[in-house]
Amino acid sequence: MSGIFRASNLLLIITTGLMALTLWMIFFWVPTESNQGNIQRILYIHVPVAWGSMLAIMFVAAASIIYLRTKNEVWDRIAVATAETGVVFGALMLITGMVWARPVWGVWWTGEAKLTTALILFFIYIAYLMFRAYFPPGAQRQRLAAIIGFIGAVDSPIIYYAANLWSQAHPPAVIGPSADGDSAFSSEFGMTLMVATLAFTMLFIYIAWERFAIRETEDALVEIKRTIGEPEPAH
Amino acid sequence: MITRAIALLALTAIALSLFAGSGTASAQGGSQKTSGTVVGVATDENGALTRLAIADSGGNIIEFSVEPSTEYGLETQAGDRWVSTQASGSVEVVSRLRDHQDRFAPVTVTSENGVALSVVERESGKLETNLGFLFAVFAITWAGFFAYIFFLSRKQRVLQREVALLRASIDSTNDD
Repeated sequence: MSGIFRASNLLLIITTGLMALTLWMIFFWVPTESNQGNIQRILYIHVPVAWGSMLAIMFVAAASIIYLRTKNEVWDRIAVATAETGVVFGALMLITGMVWARPVWGVWWTGEAKLTTALILFFIYIAYLMFRAYFPPGAQRQRLAAIIGFIGAVDSPIIYYAANLWSQAHPPAVIGPSADGDSAFSSEFGMTLMVATLAFTMLFIYIAWERFAIRETEDALVEIKRTIGEPEPAH
Repeated sequence: MITRAIALLALTAIALSLFAGSGTASAQGGSQKTSGTVVGVATDENGALTRLAIADSGGNIIEFSVEPSTEYGLETQAGDRWVSTQASGSVEVVSRLRDHQDRFAPVTVTSENGVALSVVERESGKLETNLGFLFAVFAITWAGFFAYIFFLSRKQRVLQREVALLRASIDSTNDD
């Protein structure tokens, strides 16, 4: 356990350093974008948290499926930890996107494909966690939770490609396989976005790790209570 | 737990959004510049533009009438620029403005007494700083992450204390 916490502290130090570098790049290094002005700096937060929310659901689906095959509790803990982290990243993805859209588009929200599929992903996270919280423990709960996670994982590539498939107000992808190689996001813009994405990925791993450790302690507590015959807490 | 975290984020967002509004109009040499998105286009029976409405980043809707000398400089999504005046492009400008409306592409209107002198792509030199919105995003993001990490560390401490107490209790029972 202590080894895990030492590694977690190291991860926190690396994440803090990367975050400090990210903030310096966002506010002091990257030039102001000519069309949107300072408001464009929001995208260095919005894009990485959106990436984190999509990464999380991939982990949830993969860990759930592996758990169903191996019945190893570690994978179940990973699924829960990444789902809860995904909710936080998903909520921030929606909020930061709305705050960016208000001055740039003149509205907080539109019903276009990218935004709607992102909202669906957030609801899938909520559904996953609520389902796990209220459904009785057992194999059936794990199977159904895995299906919800898998649906979320299918939604992720749809979110990523939505702006390119259904061209509307949302800017198209600027990183990844569907990004335009000649897009304005080159040099300083691209570099800042990459560092920010790396920093938020590390933050995602740190938070999921902490949540995993809590889940491990919760399971240990259940085991002890089972040994001494006390009622088990529900989780 | 999740409900509490989401409620905290939502409340923070609402509170900060109250401070996030920003003005859009700026005076310059008697004329006024307004940047924002097109929210309304009115035409006469021939399909020629008569009025247009712009929503600025503060949510204010401002209406403008046009005159024959009103100048247009609007770009397509691909970046091709179309330049004309109300006298020669009054019908074409309607479809151009509606395209901007559909894409939420911002424009800058230079006006005098409610009459548009020019309608062009949003001028980068006249951008509003919108620092309130920028502040709101960073404040919400960091408040959200810090609150969640604080919650996690507190929960971990409580659980570890409970585990230690139970283990100690088991050990003392075994000793007896």
